[in-house]
Amino acid sequence: MEERNRNRETQEQQLNEFDKSTAKERIDRIDPYGFERSTDFDYDAYEEFMSVYLAILTRRSIKWSKLLKGNKKVGKSLKVKRYVRKGIPNEHRSLIWMVSSGAQAQMDQNPGYYSKLLNGEKDAKLVDAINTDLHRTFPDNVLFRKTAEPSLQKALFNVLVAYGQHNKTVGYCQGMNFVTGYLIIITKDEEKSFWLLDALLGRILPDYYSPDMLGLKADQEVLGELVKVKVPGVWQMMEQHGVMWTLVVSRWFICLFVDVLPVETVLRIWDCLFYEGSKILFRVALTLIKHNQTTILQARNFPDVCDKFKQIIKGHFVEDCHGFMQSIFIEPGSLPMTTINKLREKCQASLLAQGL
Amino acid sequence: LSLQVMLVGDSGVGKTCLLVRFKDGAFLAGSFISTVGIDFRRPHLLTSSSLLLFQMWDTAGQERFRSVTHAYYRDAHALLLLYDVTNKSSFDNIQAWLTEIHEYAQQDVVLMLLGNKADATHERVVKREDGEKLAKEFGVPFMETSAKSGLNVELAFMAIAKELKHRSMKTPNEPKFRLHEYVNKEMKSSGCCKS
Repeated sequence: MEERNRNRETQEQQLNEFDKSTAKERIDRIDPYGFERSTDFDYDAYEEFMSVYLAILTRRSIKWSKLLKGNKKVGKSLKVKRYVRKGIPNEHRSLIWMVSSGAQAQMDQNPGYYSKLLNGEKDAKLVDAINTDLHRTFPDNVLFRKTAEPSLQKALFNVLVAYGQHNKTVGYCQGMNFVTGYLIIITKDEEKSFWLLDALLGRILPDYYSPDMLGLKADQEVLGELVKVKVPGVWQMMEQHGVMWTLVVSRWFICLFVDVLPVETVLRIWDCLFYEGSKILFRVALTLIKHNQTTILQARNFPDVCDKFKQIIKGHFVEDCHGFMQSIFIEPGSLPMTTINKLREKCQASLLAQGL
Repeated sequence: LSLQVMLVGDSGVGKTCLLVRFKDGAFLAGSFISTVGIDFRRPHLLTSSSLLLFQMWDTAGQERFRSVTHAYYRDAHALLLLYDVTNKSSFDNIQAWLTEIHEYAQQDVVLMLLGNKADATHERVVKREDGEKLAKEFGVPFMETSAKSGLNVELAFMAIAKELKHRSMKTPNEPKFRLHEYVNKEMKSSGCCKS
């Protein structure tokens, strides 16, 4: 009897150890940025990827530390561009985003401006619109819970209100909540987040968020034009089923891939966005479409097409942020800025002619 | 039979919640994110006699997104126009929404006005009678719903389905299906716990 009990105990112990030896047991349910992992999160694939990626991160971290040693200045050079494309280590991310986007310079030139906006009078409608979205921004992130200490919800509110007061033409547009949320997670600082948001909306992106959203509408059409040349099969299929680009890609542009692609992948894309500019968004979109064209072309009708576009933003291809970032500079082929500028002009003009 | 249904109304009135409630029968408080742009979803719904396929369009409520979403109005067979009974301005904006709908939607679109969040008795600021009055004024069927409790959610979708099905099968001299009467009759029979 005793022996049998002992046997059972050993068996249970072995079972327990077996339990802990699964990837799901070893990996935190909450990611390093505060997001709860979804129920269908693939722990095994993640662990396999991280076993390789950790080595890359370490190597990059050492290289960046050497580069930044002794100076906070990061000029624009081919070397830095290469470094950025290979990923900015998280400990330097805030600094490099600030410096390369010009946000740091703006912040240094305007001391006290952010707090002046915060303490000034606030437009009631603006505050209302922002409040409506506060609890609807990252409910799956523990840092944004009302009960979190400190709750990033408060920081989110402050930055969005300050920005709306600063840029009255734009005010607040849905999508800015998600973008600002990421800025706060990375910088952990309201004022820095404010100036980074200003860099994005004021200099890096076309006018995606202004009331007529002309920049957004144009960029969706620009993507269509690029697909027409680079992935003609998909373009034809979109025409055939009468799917407008805005239906499948508006969130890609407006949220800058937040809540579209995995967090780590989005941050890697933003490294390039702040350093190189908005062209990177087309590289990402084109890569997603071109890489998955066989999948997309299986669509038989309108709802199918929509489903496929939701499918291609998931899976190993986008989870492997390092591999994905390498593909975006290869898969879409050459993409000169002059082409983008020409297409932007053309699409904006035709939208304006249509009275949109 | 495939039906295109579009949900419209101010930001935060509960369009996505209502849709998810109907589709999955679930309401998870605090799990919803703001809808950006336009989102396409398609649940199936089996009725007693035939398979109805609902194709649902969920939209962002913020005003500037209307220029993105109104391109889809013309394809919609039915529009569910929502306001939030705890938010006066979402009710005040209904007239503007109706103008928008008349401008861009098909003339024969099936339209229904829904006062959502009817479970929130303490925060309510729009009376049920006010909703009824407005609906009567514009000649649209009306009911109060709650994505949280499930009140009238299925009924709202079933009613538009019946109306559309009736239209598609109707011969010219058959009597018209009366959506108003159907809604009123069904609502009464479901309503021991109405506020």
